[in-house]
Amino acid sequence: MFACIHGADAARLADSFSPFVEMVDEKTAVFSVTARQLGRLKSAQAAVAITVEAAILAAQNLPGYTFIPPGQEARVLGALSIDALPPDPELFETLHLWGIRSLEDLARLPDDALASRLGARGLWLQRLARGAFERPLRPRISATIYEESAELEHPIKLREPLLFLITRFLDDLTARLKSQSLAAAALHLTLNGTQRTHSVPFPTRDVKLLLKLVEHSLDRQPPEAPIAKIRLELIPTEPRRVQHGLFTPAAPEPEKLELTLGKIRGLVGEKNVGYPELFDTHRPGVARPTGALLPFRYFRPPLEARVTAERLWTRMFQGKILQIAGPWRSSGDWWQPGDWNRDEYDLALSDGALYRIYLDRAPKKWFVEGVYD
Amino acid sequence: MAAAFPLGWRHVEPLDILSAAGRDFPRGRISEITGTRSSGRTSVLHELLAASTGRGEYAALVDTKDAFDACSAASVGVELSKLVWVRCGGNAEHALRAADLLIQAGGFGVVTLDLAEVAPAALNRIPPTAWFRFRRALESTPTILMVLADHPLAKSCSSLTVKTTIKMPPKRAVFTGQAPFLLLRDAG
Repeated sequence: MFACIHGADAARLADSFSPFVEMVDEKTAVFSVTARQLGRLKSAQAAVAITVEAAILAAQNLPGYTFIPPGQEARVLGALSIDALPPDPELFETLHLWGIRSLEDLARLPDDALASRLGARGLWLQRLARGAFERPLRPRISATIYEESAELEHPIKLREPLLFLITRFLDDLTARLKSQSLAAAALHLTLNGTQRTHSVPFPTRDVKLLLKLVEHSLDRQPPEAPIAKIRLELIPTEPRRVQHGLFTPAAPEPEKLELTLGKIRGLVGEKNVGYPELFDTHRPGVARPTGALLPFRYFRPPLEARVTAERLWTRMFQGKILQIAGPWRSSGDWWQPGDWNRDEYDLALSDGALYRIYLDRAPKKWFVEGVYD
Repeated sequence: MAAAFPLGWRHVEPLDILSAAGRDFPRGRISEITGTRSSGRTSVLHELLAASTGRGEYAALVDTKDAFDACSAASVGVELSKLVWVRCGGNAEHALRAADLLIQAGGFGVVTLDLAEVAPAALNRIPPTAWFRFRRALESTPTILMVLADHPLAKSCSSLTVKTTIKMPPKRAVFTGQAPFLLLRDAG
């Protein structure tokens, strides 16, 4: 049997009956009940029926406590207006034209004729009106937080004991994830109230990999003080499912690659490792190409230059200008920081190379941006 | 690969020869591309990366001087989503270490170590043993370690050195239009 409570306090009341409660809306809660529990419901705006939908209809539309004996759903619900059903303006208009006003009227209509005129939706409404539509309960399942934390009497000063503690946390948390067929998408480590987040590029439950990520993070950015409070949280997600092909080209193992990139990030900096990406913009250097371009090498940052009609000087090279093409004027992003406004030229220098130079129009300065190569 | 180099004044002969012989850059070995500015070394590199990523392989670029132009690379067919880009801010030691780590990780079709334009003093500090170490690490892998530099660095550890040179004087650059609105059409 299913019970439905309708009222402002429905959720709290329903929780006192069962941990598995379906919230139909803010004021309506449905759950499964046993005969022994029925007595406690009698003082509430509630209904008990053999099907979920019958219990909901009765609780929402009939006053006080309603018990619908099995097989009597159509009789008990029959007096209700068809407006008690889930709204469907188009269908309801047709039903009104037919003179159907109550659920009893709708329940009496022949199935086949109704299905041929109103389709599956009409048939579904009729089954609701009869209280015969059966569906399982859809209980709300609160999101589980996969976290472990500890407050230490003696703060940890050394790296090894800290990693030992983190390993224990990771073992427990990944076991919990495994029991739910989940994997970790990210790892939040909070040390003394300072949180660091490690996003894992693919869902994993590999303790060694997660531990290595934490190790690299601690190497890059050691804690500033001995650790007195520690909290570790894994963000759950669906596990990775990959089907390998016989003829697929070899690719780096994701686990190994992530650890390698983690080490390289420690070496050259967080922002200097990644995949290049082009954007939908006209900004030089990051715009998507519209055709084949001559291969180019940048001088980053651009070399400041002194240019005359015949020669070019920079701190790295100088030479006679043999040929020059341009200018190509471009500007953009003037409404935000990082705007550009410049005249570009291509020039062939006497050293044999072909350079791209530009005049930054705001400070009126010349720069060599790079070389065609 | 040779058909992909409309390089004009740049020297493309070694690649033509390679192509005619049906050879490619040897896998599990160190190869070098050396040359001066505008000699076409970056063209060769982009074509190699395009060929590798086009086959579905992953490639890595250790960019010592932060010189890589993703825009022109993408225009010749390099799949940027399959290219790991490591910028080393001019530090050659970091570049060598990063290349070493990427080779050890395995699974890459091409690992490129771009040491072009790096100061000679920094290059002189690279111990010769580094190249032996790379050669040893590569031996049993299908990875090509491509070193891009102004001058040959790996010496005997390199299996193939492609030297690109400026074959013709730069006055062969093709500009069209009327001055001062000339347009660079081709570099040859």
